[in-house]
Amino acid sequence: MNKGFSIDCIGYAMFAVFILLVMPWMVDYSGYELNTYARYLALGMAAAALALSWGTAGLLNLGQALTFGIGAYIMAMHLKLKASASQAGGLPDFMVWTNMEELPWFWEPFHSVGITLAAGVLVPVGIAGLIGGFMFRGRITGVFVAIITLSLMLAVQLWMIAEQQFTGGQNGLTGLASLELFGWSVDIYTVAFYYLVAGCLMVILTLALLLVRSKAGLVLRAIKADPERVRFFGYDVARYEVLAFSISAGIAGVAGMFYAMVLEFASPTYMGLSLSLAFVIWAAVGGRESIVAATLGGIGVNMAEGRLSDLFFDQWTLILGVIFIVVVLFLPRGLFGLVMDFREKLEDFYRNKTTASTASAMESNPVSAIDQGGDK
Amino acid sequence: MAALTLEKLTVSFGGLIAVNELDLHIRDGELRCLLGPNGAGKSTTLDLICGKTKPTSGRVLLGNKDITHLEEFKRARAGVGRKFQTPTVFKELNVIENLEIGRSARPGIASTLRVFRTPVSGRIREVLSLVGLEGEMFTKAENLSHGQTQWLELAMLLMQDCQVILMDEPTAGMTVQETNQTAALFRELQGDHTMIVVEHDMAFVRDIADIVTVMDSGSLLAEGNIAEIESNAAVREAYLADVGDDEHA
Repeated sequence: MNKGFSIDCIGYAMFAVFILLVMPWMVDYSGYELNTYARYLALGMAAAALALSWGTAGLLNLGQALTFGIGAYIMAMHLKLKASASQAGGLPDFMVWTNMEELPWFWEPFHSVGITLAAGVLVPVGIAGLIGGFMFRGRITGVFVAIITLSLMLAVQLWMIAEQQFTGGQNGLTGLASLELFGWSVDIYTVAFYYLVAGCLMVILTLALLLVRSKAGLVLRAIKADPERVRFFGYDVARYEVLAFSISAGIAGVAGMFYAMVLEFASPTYMGLSLSLAFVIWAAVGGRESIVAATLGGIGVNMAEGRLSDLFFDQWTLILGVIFIVVVLFLPRGLFGLVMDFREKLEDFYRNKTTASTASAMESNPVSAIDQGGDK
Repeated sequence: MAALTLEKLTVSFGGLIAVNELDLHIRDGELRCLLGPNGAGKSTTLDLICGKTKPTSGRVLLGNKDITHLEEFKRARAGVGRKFQTPTVFKELNVIENLEIGRSARPGIASTLRVFRTPVSGRIREVLSLVGLEGEMFTKAENLSHGQTQWLELAMLLMQDCQVILMDEPTAGMTVQETNQTAALFRELQGDHTMIVVEHDMAFVRDIADIVTVMDSGSLLAEGNIAEIESNAAVREAYLADVGDDEHA
């Protein structure tokens, strides 16, 4: 538990430099380009959310896009209401077309920014807590978690498409206003907006890192390895699993809110199969064991897609599939695993060199050697 | 006072009665050995005590507390620790991390979220030196030898510090020297902890046991000190003769 923290911090610091300094510099601080990068950050955040439940606790949530989509819709509902303020009765346009008389009750709270922002996190957390509570108390694990989360997401997506008068149906929520935070009207094509997203991402990654590095994170890693054994040490496994599952959902909710802002609409594709599976691929490519690596996976794959999809067009999906297969076959721990293997080799090399020369010194005073190890 | 009481404990798996109306009274601080041929229901008895298997009927009492229907983690919190037959440690975690999992006096999320480092001092240092893993603190458990893995699981149980410890073949796969060390460790635990040990190694049993319980086909066959058991005709017939042969083979 003590070891490895410093490596985390180095990786984290490098990541901070990359998204706070290098990425804006790469596009010459152009607000328009940074809007695209802000989208990558939001998607990277979703990959981080998946890594938290999948990589840390071993719970593969194939329906991660459900909570992502809910976050997006919650933000879009607020912005849609703002955009519809001048309409008769403040009704969004699609409601008028579908002959709705008045605003449904569950739309009412989203007039308020505060409630919207809180709901964007808490509703996903609550839903995940409920689903997770049922699943994990029932000791559902492994592939069954994946199947249940996937089918729940698709069911909700179908409902969203069907209930057009409430949700905008297949088209989703379009024609959104811009968010107003404490009197600041958020222009998504500015450097400031990019730093808002980047700042939130850094805060979320910091909190996630604290969770993973705490003893609770250790228990989650133990659960990933052998949930049965963990129970016999007195840990309430289901509760820990619900914790990881719902925090992950909360992060996905935040990512979804930013995503709706960046793209200026929310649609049922946000809780669709292909996006949900894409999260899995990004996390796998970056390395699901590390939240920062998974985030980088999300950002990196999307950057590559941005560059390459112009060149390859439809074949991009195929390329993405090939990348995933290559990663699964040859890099089961993702690019992060590659880095860690390299580090271990380096350490071994270094150790062999030093033990050869200091073996006698170590033997004469083993206690001090252990003390040094313990203080790390 | 009895630390652990089994009352008419029965479990059947699809008609097969694995444990049949078993009564057991284990005193506080006692070291009880559980013997019996393969399939006698020894491991199943341990499973019933620690909650891995739910009984069909009967009761399990820890002190005066009925724990028959408690979930596993609640039994562990109540004071039942378990060592499994095949050493079960967390292979991807290193030795210190495994011990941190074992150190589960405060297992709630609210407390574990606030723990960030394992102090390599005090009890952890003691336990590490007791099981000889001081030099392997940062070794991943998967890279330990079989004997070391057994010791690591024992060490985790020591960290857990349960009142009642259930041991399923703790010396399996150990060298003679390691077995002797284990016996010494058990004698040290005796008195402070109540232990139930399933074991096939008769030399080890003679070395450590207060009272021996022999099971056969899920029922209690005999109970007494080691001399009484070894001279018991029924036991010899069911079990000991076989073991004797094995030992000479």
